[in-house]
Amino acid sequence: MPDQTANNQGATHYNGSPRPVLEVADLHVTFKTEGGLVPAVSGIDFSVAPGKTLAIVGESGSGKSVSSAAVMGLLPPNAEVTGEVLLDGRELIGLSSEELRRIRGNDIALVFQDALSALNPYYSVGWQVAEAYRLHHDVSKKEALKRAVRMLDLVGIPSAEQRAKAYPHEFSGGMRQRVVIAMALVNDPKVLIADEPTTALDVTVQAQIMRLLEDVQAEFGTALVLISHDLGVVAEVADDVLVMYAGRAAERGSVKDLFHRAAHPYSLGLLGAMPRVDLPPRPRLATIPGSPPSPGSITTGCPFQPRCAYAHLVGERCITERPELTPRPGEGYHEAACHLGRRPEVML
Amino acid sequence: MPDLLWFVLRRLFATVLVMLALSLAVYLIFYALPADPARLACGKPCTPDRLEQARHFMQLDQSVIQQYLAFLKGIFAGRTFGEGAAAVQCNAPCFGYSFPLARPVTTLIVDRLPVTLSIAIGAAVLWLLLGVTLGVGAALKRGKLFDRLAVGFALIGIATPSFLLGLLAILVFGFWLNMVPVNGYVPLTESPVDWAWHLITPWLVLATIQAAAYIRLTRAQMLEEMNLDHITTARAKGAGERRVVAVHGLRGVLVPIVTIFGLDLGALLGGAILTEKVFSMQGLGELLISAVGQLDVAVVVGVTLFSAFLVILANLVVDVVHGVLDPRVGHA
Amino acid sequence: MSTDELLHLKDVKKYFGLRGAPWRKAGAVKAVDGVNFVVRRGETVGLVGESGSGKSTLARVATRLLDPTAGTVEIGGQDVTRVRGRKLRPVRRKIQMVFQDPQASLNPRQSVGTILTTPFRAQGIRPTRAQLVELLRQVGLSEEHLERYPHEFSGGQRQRIGIARALAVKPDLLVCDEPVSALDVSVQAQVLNLLADLRDDLGLSYVLVAHDLAVVRQVANRLAVMYLGTIVEEGPAAEVYSAPAHPYTRALLSAVPVPEPGAKRDRIVLTGDVPTPIDPPSGCPFRTRCYKAEDVCATVRPVLEPVAGGEHRVACYFPESPADLSSPPLSERTP
Ligand SMILES: Nc1ncnc2c1ncn2[C@@H]1O[C@H](COP(=O)(O)OP(=O)(O)OP(=O)(O)O)[C@@H](O)[C@H]1O
Ligand SMILES: Nc1ncnc2c1ncn2[C@@H]1O[C@H](COP(=O)(O)OP(=O)(O)OP(=O)(O)O)[C@@H](O)[C@H]1O
Ligand code: SF4
Ligand code: SF4
Ligand SMILES: [Mg+2]
Ligand SMILES: [Mg+2]
Repeated sequence: MPDQTANNQGATHYNGSPRPVLEVADLHVTFKTEGGLVPAVSGIDFSVAPGKTLAIVGESGSGKSVSSAAVMGLLPPNAEVTGEVLLDGRELIGLSSEELRRIRGNDIALVFQDALSALNPYYSVGWQVAEAYRLHHDVSKKEALKRAVRMLDLVGIPSAEQRAKAYPHEFSGGMRQRVVIAMALVNDPKVLIADEPTTALDVTVQAQIMRLLEDVQAEFGTALVLISHDLGVVAEVADDVLVMYAGRAAERGSVKDLFHRAAHPYSLGLLGAMPRVDLPPRPRLATIPGSPPSPGSITTGCPFQPRCAYAHLVGERCITERPELTPRPGEGYHEAACHLGRRPEVML
Repeated sequence: MPDLLWFVLRRLFATVLVMLALSLAVYLIFYALPADPARLACGKPCTPDRLEQARHFMQLDQSVIQQYLAFLKGIFAGRTFGEGAAAVQCNAPCFGYSFPLARPVTTLIVDRLPVTLSIAIGAAVLWLLLGVTLGVGAALKRGKLFDRLAVGFALIGIATPSFLLGLLAILVFGFWLNMVPVNGYVPLTESPVDWAWHLITPWLVLATIQAAAYIRLTRAQMLEEMNLDHITTARAKGAGERRVVAVHGLRGVLVPIVTIFGLDLGALLGGAILTEKVFSMQGLGELLISAVGQLDVAVVVGVTLFSAFLVILANLVVDVVHGVLDPRVGHA
Repeated sequence: MSTDELLHLKDVKKYFGLRGAPWRKAGAVKAVDGVNFVVRRGETVGLVGESGSGKSTLARVATRLLDPTAGTVEIGGQDVTRVRGRKLRPVRRKIQMVFQDPQASLNPRQSVGTILTTPFRAQGIRPTRAQLVELLRQVGLSEEHLERYPHEFSGGQRQRIGIARALAVKPDLLVCDEPVSALDVSVQAQVLNLLADLRDDLGLSYVLVAHDLAVVRQVANRLAVMYLGTIVEEGPAAEVYSAPAHPYTRALLSAVPVPEPGAKRDRIVLTGDVPTPIDPPSGCPFRTRCYKAEDVCATVRPVLEPVAGGEHRVACYFPESPADLSSPPLSERTP
């Protein structure tokens, strides 16, 4: 049995590295709405090994949050999910709601972007962390609260015992995000999905939270899926990166592949558009013209074609034929979905 | 908590001021009316002499301000109308004396209160249960048959006048089906079963009318609440759907519901006028209506003040309960 | 009183009264607490600082959208602190504001043409169609967009419309409050380039409020750093970025992640949170999180003083000197 899953063709991972704990293959998510079908995610693959960090980057609407919600089984009923989501080799898609409930928060946990709205305003933070523990452990409320206080202490809430009685609004943004992380970690999950965990926070607090996540990973060997649009954060913490565009993978590879050998014009565009704090200002930032397409609006050819500065070098093919992920030079499994055979150069 | 005590004290003090202003206003309004209560009291063959006597006895020959001051004094010291053997005593706290009914207003209110309380509280419990259950159900089954039925029921409740629904209920259940008594009130202390049996129709009628607003409010709040991020968090933690609704969803709906409920109940305790009339129950509302007809200023002032007090009190309770229920109140 | 000074804020304070539960005692949020701030013609001043440091409040006071609690606001050399109503018209011609959320700041029921007409009307002018088209052209849109409604545009295009609206009265100074923080990176770059182009073409000056230090570095030539309602450091952008003198600025800059895998940086991870602006610390507002704090820091608030005699000024008793910056990492130092 285990061999079968390890050979799963979609869930690529490199030889030699530990076996992935989460493998997602050919994931499709389609929403049935009044305006028709919305193909939010159209076939993505990724995997992450214990103690490793996979970053998913991409612009607004590219399907990052939908993918993570699909993995957690948290999508609304109008979403149709197909593909494979293997947690330690066990298929999650198609599980009964009770079986899924047992896995959620226990084996896979989620950290949201906005910690204030992610916490229930009416219950104390200690209660909320304890609830997460009680949902998966048959313990008394008192024991659960003790465990919660220990977790709050672990994530760096000062005088956790007293602060556990406080309500979310009595915390600062950074402290709230710590609470949410404590809640996610209270059951020692194998996989932690963090959806823009620091986007709502100030940089100094962001640095604290990212360090906390790294420490947690080092200590518990948690696999981290980090969803972010901040390439700076990604460069600092990720081992592997998946770049999404319009619900598809544009490029994936190790963090060095992405930042030093970007093979997809979109990845390159993102890097060029990013202002840098560590370098003197450039005369102009590189831009990608236009804006991301709405899901399903581009049905043939390369979804990036209308904005791509290299399409004219390739010609018709970009309009008629959808590029598949193909191997690129790099460390291990660097792949990009682009017809352009060679590496694109920076163009302004 | 001492802060809370201060708040309550300050609000109570403000309440007293409001009541003073209100009672003065009622006095002035009745003074300005062309009708003369003394003429009603004086009887059929009314000589100018007897009218003058009645006027003096009822202390209507004084200026409106003097009458008002006498009323205020009566609250603390009691009042005596007339002299000698015919004198009428109204003990402190005297909120006025009803000559047409020949009783102190305080006694009248105390007598009538149980009826109104019985109607109001019973109906309130019913409509709260009905409104919240149907509202939550409708929200969870949004767009399904249950939702449509609940929303339709709410529409009927909102659109139908209470007296019409009351008369219909009496007609159908009382006369045609002969299931329930059509009028009258039996004190709880006399026979709890008869008490409830006589009240069941007014309860149902009032509850149907009121539940409508609660269904709509609960449904809207619940829909909003279930879309919040913390509900997704609860699911992501591994909470089952039932727990998500009961522990996380309903908790947020509680605050607005309790607020409205407190205010509605406060208003209703002042007298469910139409319901009492339709079901011939001698409650506060009925007392007020007949007093207005008889130009019985004392009763009008007394009942108005009492109802106003209940409404203000309900507001105060709601504010305090809101502060207790919602930990965010009081933080910027 | 040189007319080169487009904006001059003198010792401006803005306090907000707090409304809590009726039985809790009220306080005041000292959102801006004694700020002196000058913008000269041709400058792009970046105003940075963490959430709640008072950047937006300062911007609103500067554009006369909020009345200051104390201090004076001079626009174009004229004291306009108490100017109100119709008299404000000529002031609005000189200074305009662009808001963060392009979605919320445009009326969804008005066409782009109507939106762009409003600022003219406020000045008592009826614009010609050619004038409106010219505005659109300046921000990279075209005539065909005039009849469309905000929802038909992408976020970046909406922000362009917001900028066009601000440009309608030909202001000298544009105060942009987080103009790109709601936008995706690729779109953000378009808008930043547009701001730079407008500066070159129209000779505009900017105050650019942002929490993203990289964005500010790209466009600002002067920088002011706010902390708890005060400016703790200001100076030529290049100088402040390369040699931050205030410990807070230094920590802030070191915390910005850079897209360079494996880059080793001396990160100063600050401990603790920003104190509440209702009850800021005595003396230096940063002392509760500062890795250099000494007893004297708790006494009197340090004032802005020149670093090495230049334009660069810092409010700190123990400013960093360029020599400190090359010293070994301070990363784990705590207060
Ligand atoms: N419940 C839903 N019904 C219909 N469409 C949806 C639903 N949820 C998401 N979508 C669509 O799916 C697409 C992907 O959304 P998603 O939230 O995953 O984007 P994202 O990459 O997380 O973007 P962001 O950076 O803004 O968070 C969007 O176009 C969105 O409109
Ligand atoms: N209208 C208001 N009433 C009360 N307090 C306010 C008001 N506006 C702002 N504040 C408070 O003033 C302080 C400064 O707010 P301001 O919006 O200026 O900060 P900012 O630096 O723009 O932050 P951000 O980066 O989050 O936009 C904050 O503590 C804020 O809560
Ligand atoms: S396939 Fe063509 S359009 Fe798509 S990214 Fe490559 S070059 Fe550009
Ligand atoms: S004055 Fe003191 S506390 Fe404030 S920044 Fe300077 S060294 Fe730190
Ligand atoms: Mg998202
Ligand atoms: Mg702001």
